Amino acid sequence: MTTRLGDWLDERFDWRRVWAAIFLRKIPHVNWLYTLGSATLFVAGLQIVTGILLTIYYVPTPDHAYDSVVYITTQVTAGWFIRGLHHWGASAMVILTVLHLLRTFFYGAYKYPREVTWLTGVLLLLVVVGFGFTGYLLPWDQKAYWATTVGTEIAGVAPGIGPWIIRVARGGEELSALTLARFFGAHVWVLPAALLALLSIHLYLIIRIGITAAPGRDE
Amino acid sequence: MEPSNKEVTRRQFMSAAVAAMSSLIGAAVGLPAIAYIISPALKKKAEDWVRLGAISKVELGSPTLFKTTIERQTGWITDQEEVSAFVLSEDGQNYAAISNVCTHLGCRVRWIAEQEKFFCPCHNGVFGKDGSVISGPPPRPLDRLETKVENGVLFIRRG
Repeated sequence: MTTRLGDWLDERFDWRRVWAAIFLRKIPHVNWLYTLGSATLFVAGLQIVTGILLTIYYVPTPDHAYDSVVYITTQVTAGWFIRGLHHWGASAMVILTVLHLLRTFFYGAYKYPREVTWLTGVLLLLVVVGFGFTGYLLPWDQKAYWATTVGTEIAGVAPGIGPWIIRVARGGEELSALTLARFFGAHVWVLPAALLALLSIHLYLIIRIGITAAPGRDE
Repeated sequence: MEPSNKEVTRRQFMSAAVAAMSSLIGAAVGLPAIAYIISPALKKKAEDWVRLGAISKVELGSPTLFKTTIERQTGWITDQEEVSAFVLSEDGQNYAAISNVCTHLGCRVRWIAEQEKFFCPCHNGVFGKDGSVISGPPPRPLDRLETKVENGVLFIRRG
């Protein structure tokens, strides 16, 4: 049955060739450190799913943000679990992305012809940090408020354009509903769009060029 | 188990293992996700009796309007809601709570004691003392609310 459906679809979409290109690639002899990228991808997927779920109950305004987060955590069925996954997944994202970058760096895997894969990877790290920074404000509790106050203040000490950066980041001089709204917008629209665009290039290149072998002693 | 002459290849085993683990992870996230989405439907509707007031305030044979405010919880927001109903008792033993909401378009009806009738100001709906329609557009009698009396205090069930 499934074989027949598979054949039917294959005749129309040629999907088996696509499947083979993605999953049945020849790979060199590698070790467990090479799974860090896939691990990052998996957690990213988890963050997307749990993030979408959180927006069902979360309201990004100063008078509702904190209460809606408390509601998710204490009242919604499995809300603590979904939020917990998203919370801890955020830390896991940063850690895994950095470890993945270190592996790539120390194995020299960024060299020709994989410079663009490396470049998109570095940009992806920035996106992940951006996700962390914007997401941290969303619960709108004391920790979130003051962390963002300090974070934007740090950006503000840049010579010359500092005050301008603060106003753009906060949507004004002070943290306000404008800050929460733009951090939310960045967190659920701008950054996910950037993530998906960069990730598409990153993954395409990995499949197109293939991955490096672990460097040997005699090389 | 019957001995099988078909050998499981390394590739088949790995595929099965990956499929099994994927299903496990999928279920671990998917099932809570479904529960999370349908959470509002899982919540038991609070069967709440609203305390209207002392039955001693009811004038025998005449509908008496009771008003009270209750707190209503929707999500994380608490709202004040005004609940009002006419209470009618002929014998001081049995109490009937009659909704003051006109069955036509939801305006509040008024008891005019001199005429012994409920009047709706919006479209001239007229109801008798027991809530039955006398004239005008209302399609059915005024709604009755479930009542109970505890220690001289009257409660109605919110509908």
